Order: sequence, then structure tokens, then C-alpha cells
Amino acid sequence: MAEAAESPGDRETASPRPLMRDLKAVGKKFMHVLYPRKSNTLLRDWDLWGPLILCVTLALMLQRSSLDSEKDGGPQFAEVFVIVWFGAVTITLNSKLLGGNISFFQSLCVLGYCILPLTVAMVVCRLVLLAEPGPINFIVRLFVVAVMFVWSIVASTAFLADSQPPNRKALAVYPVFLFYFVISWMILTFTPQ
Amino acid sequence: MKQALVDDTEDVSLDFGNEEEELAFRKARIRHPLATFFHLFFRVSAIVTYVCCDWFSKSFVGCFVAVLLLLSFDFWSVKNVTGRLLVGLRWWNQIDEDGKSHWIFEARKASPGGAAATEAEARIFWLGLVICPVIWVLFFFSTLFSLKLKWLALVIAGISLQAANLYGYVLCKMGGEGDISKVTASLLSQTVFQTGLTFLTGNRCKSHHSEEREGRNNPPCHDRAQSGAENRNLLSPRSQFLRLSLES
Repeated sequence: MAEAAESPGDRETASPRPLMRDLKAVGKKFMHVLYPRKSNTLLRDWDLWGPLILCVTLALMLQRSSLDSEKDGGPQFAEVFVIVWFGAVTITLNSKLLGGNISFFQSLCVLGYCILPLTVAMVVCRLVLLAEPGPINFIVRLFVVAVMFVWSIVASTAFLADSQPPNRKALAVYPVFLFYFVISWMILTFTPQ
Repeated sequence: MKQALVDDTEDVSLDFGNEEEELAFRKARIRHPLATFFHLFFRVSAIVTYVCCDWFSKSFVGCFVAVLLLLSFDFWSVKNVTGRLLVGLRWWNQIDEDGKSHWIFEARKASPGGAAATEAEARIFWLGLVICPVIWVLFFFSTLFSLKLKWLALVIAGISLQAANLYGYVLCKMGGEGDISKVTASLLSQTVFQTGLTFLTGNRCKSHHSEEREGRNNPPCHDRAQSGAENRNLLSPRSQFLRLSLES
């Protein structure tokens, strides 16, 4: 994970400073995703803690509570994990093969952090599902997921598009579109029983 | 500038009681007990939780998240804290102005008056660092062949997290040396040899790593695993500050 060089002192102790600095860096990146601007923070100072937290949160929320104790949300949990990480790795490989000048972990970092809007959509959907089921319920969820989906795409292309040669931008963005579409689909079609 | 002036005029406390503390610190075989404990704690409890999770709860998700959390804590603490404290090595990734990413591996020059690592700590560090990924690879094969495929994601995550640290620190240790297999072999055989010798004979022999005050009266070790002057051990007092930089 990226960290600025710090000079070790003579009598060092395990200072909490690196932990707080890492946590603050993760929080700052979350803010950058929510308000996407042209900035280099996500790219320069990458880390994979944010994507891990988001992936685990999303996977936990996408569990179905089932009466059958054998299938206690097991497959769904590992499925989400595999889809997110394998999908992100595939997109990264694709963009590298297309000649992008972004490093492997930077790309994983951006794709992972831009799942944040969809995670927010998941939280909202779960709250909405506590209310009465019906068409209105579905329309509200559809609207929320669609808005967050567009937000994710905009945030990730704001960071990733610059690293591609100009005639390849669409080719590089299309898998990102697919990736977030699959996640949005999982969120939209989720029902708790 | 102002900061430097302030630092110069700061009072230096004359604390005579500290000297005894310093002496005790230097004589201790393990100078960073907390770091040593946590280095092993997270790794071993991740493995134990993975193996014993069926006894604690039937929940796949609970076990998965618990093991993943422990592996993450372990990764963070080994990378940021215990490597620095126990063996004086560190590694990180830096992205420069052009957007090129560099992997930097550093080994700290051992200062004679400083809190250099002891032999016991270094041994614990390397044994812990090497043995745990091997165990996770064993888990990988056992999961694959017993067809419990839902655990495969977790095992792969475990392997990648632990192997990343192992790889990073081995590259740090390599420093400017060329052959990674030679260094790894010599390091492993040396550690195993000395541990075995200590265990069997019950006394310590003085090696390249041990400091003067530890092995003053003991006979020198015959390090068959090392090749004399070629082994530029990064922890020995005469080592240089070595930095290896890789571009990706």
C-alpha cells in the first residue's frame, strides 16, 4: 500500500500515527468518490483497504436470510466477493492490454472505491424493503440504483479515462459499465427471503 | 527554520535513572515484546480460526469475515510495524509525478547505539513470515481436493495477503544482492540450523548476527550454510543502508 517515506527514529515504538494516517487516507478517498473532481488523490496515493471494506459490507448486505442452515447465505457471500475482485482484476488487465498507463493496483483502487455509491444504494434499498412490497417499492429502488449506478460510472471514468489513449477510451470504459451494471443488478434483484 | 530553532533550544532533561533502563533494554533478548506478540498473534489466530470455525459457529459468513479481518490486521501490522521494528526492513509503493509507480525496498543501517533488532526477534519474524503462507498453500490444496469450494475465495485471499508480505520482505533482505534463491536458501537453512543447534545442545554459539554482549564466552558457530564474506547480512553492524527500487 502506498505510504510516504517516514524516517525511523532510534527508539521506535509502534506508533498509532500510521494507523490514523491510513484511516484518514481511506476516508479522504471516500469523499473524493462522493464528490468526483479531477484530482489525483485516488491515483497517486492508492490503497486497497477501502475496496475491501466496501466489498465485505456489500457482501454482508446481499445475504439472504434463509431457514435452511446449510445454505446460510454462504454462496451469495462468496459470489459477491468473487464477482467484485475478479471483475476488477479483469477490467484492469483489459485496460493494461489496451495500452493504458495506469498501474495494476491504482486501477483496482479506483474501481473498488467507486463501488461506494452502489453500497449506499444497497443500504437505501434494504431500508426501502422494510416497507410494504409492491410496484412503488420497486420503482423507488430502481430509481435509487439507477442514480447510484450513473454516479459510480461517472466517478470511475473521471479517474480512469485519462490514462487511456484517446481512441481507446470507449473500449476501456465499456467493461467498467458492465461491471457496475452486474453489481447494480444484484442489488436491484435482491429480496430478503 | 523556525522549527529547527525551537528544537535547538528545547531542554534536554538529564535523567540519570534512564541509564539503567537503557542497559536493561539492550540486554533483553526481545526488545519489542508487543510487536513480536502481534506479529505472530494475528497470523496464528487466522489459521486457528479457519481450522476451528466449525466448532464455534455454523455460520460461513461469520467465519469468513473473522478470518478476513484477522488476515487484514496481520497484513497491516506486519507491513507497517513489525517489519520495521523487528528486522529494520520496510517496503512500499510510490507514484511519482509522471504517474510511474515504483516499489521501494529498504533495509535500515544498524546503528550501534540504537534499538537494533536482536537475533531472537529476527528469527521469530522470519519463521512466522515463512511458515504461515506455506500453511495457507496447504489449505488451498486441501480445500481444492475436498471440493469445499466456497472456502476457496478465503484461502486465496489469505495466500495473497501473506505472500505479499513475504515477497516484499525477501526483496528488502535481498537488497543489492543478485540471487534471490541463494539468499532465501541461506537464510532458511541458517535459521533452521541455529534453532536446531540451540534446541539440541542447549547453549548458544556466537554467530554473525548476535551482538557482542550476548555471546561473549560462547564458541563461534560453524555456519556451513553461509559462504563467508559473500554474505552481506543486512543486520550486521558493518552493513550499509541498502535500498532497492523496482519499477512497474
